[in-house]
Amino acid sequence: MSAMRRWLPITLVLAFSFPATAVSQEGETARGTAAAQETEAPQTVEDDRSALTDPAEADLDARAAEVAGGLRCPVCRNQSILESNADLSREMHRVVRERLAAGETPEEVEAYFVSRYGEWILLKPQARGINLVVYALPVIVLLLGFLLARNRLRKWARAGAVETSAGATGSGSIGVEDEEWLRDALRES
Amino acid sequence: MKKKLRWLLPLVALPILWLLYWGMGRDTYVLPSPMAGLEAPEFHLVGFDGDTLSLADLRGRVVILNFWASWCIPCRTEHPVLVQTERTWDDSEVVLLGVVYQDSRANAERFLAQYGGEWTHVLDPSQRTAIDYGVYGVPETFFIGRDGHISHKKVGPVTWDLVRYQVDSLLAVPVSSANAGSVGGTP
Repeated sequence: MSAMRRWLPITLVLAFSFPATAVSQEGETARGTAAAQETEAPQTVEDDRSALTDPAEADLDARAAEVAGGLRCPVCRNQSILESNADLSREMHRVVRERLAAGETPEEVEAYFVSRYGEWILLKPQARGINLVVYALPVIVLLLGFLLARNRLRKWARAGAVETSAGATGSGSIGVEDEEWLRDALRES
Repeated sequence: MKKKLRWLLPLVALPILWLLYWGMGRDTYVLPSPMAGLEAPEFHLVGFDGDTLSLADLRGRVVILNFWASWCIPCRTEHPVLVQTERTWDDSEVVLLGVVYQDSRANAERFLAQYGGEWTHVLDPSQRTAIDYGVYGVPETFFIGRDGHISHKKVGPVTWDLVRYQVDSLLAVPVSSANAGSVGGTP
């Protein structure tokens, strides 16, 4: 019971840190798979084969794919608009490409979609405001766990040191009878 | 030591419980729209009659912008409400405008022939207007004031109570103050 009590805070702290890590990595994995698809799957901005010959077009496609990989498909929810084949996603991908071609930065394109759909449209939460909790919490919790573990270990080590020093002076933690019993047991084995 | 750490249990448990309460108690399909209070994006869309309609043409009137499709079942649910909306207010005060989303003109017209309704509809074949308004499904309805600002966005079928409340609120805004700052508002 007391052992359970002792471990309860640590267990809770660990349990709490898991969802936070999962959330902060969600965007990362989505981006990762999007990047992986970039090379394999055909571009959603289809019909336009100029990218095969024109390096500038190919560069634009790549930049559009990078932005599109970070935008959530409003229909399918857990896919990026790069991966999704929904009509709306394809059109959004086209919007991304056109806005980049018109000279907007990737940040400006993202800001446009955020202004229309809310921050929800970003697969990876922005690292500011209340969102910082998601990024900071795993680190804080890990640090707290480390401090807690260090304090505990120190305390145990100190307790152990007291015991051994007490044993050396004669008034040992196990009595004379027990010590004899232990010696017998060791001899028999 | 154990007594000292007793405060840690509620400190850790309460946020988790709150998160569960908040997360399970909401409809995750409905997203909070950032567009309420903002100026409604301009559009130039072609109607069934071939004429191009812009939001600027409707400045000075309350506009109900309804994104819908004939394949959309909840759109059928809300259609009688829209019919009643059209009947209740005069076109010079309140304009109901349907935007056909991911659907053909023929299908839309068949739907309207079956369910009635005489208000204007425009087509959005590129879906650019839908994206401009942050639409992610149908039906979605925007209530736009005389000054061209969005007052409310409804995801899912509208109810008569909602429409009446929104339109009455928008009509209650004095015309002069609503038009202040707008360019050439012609009623």
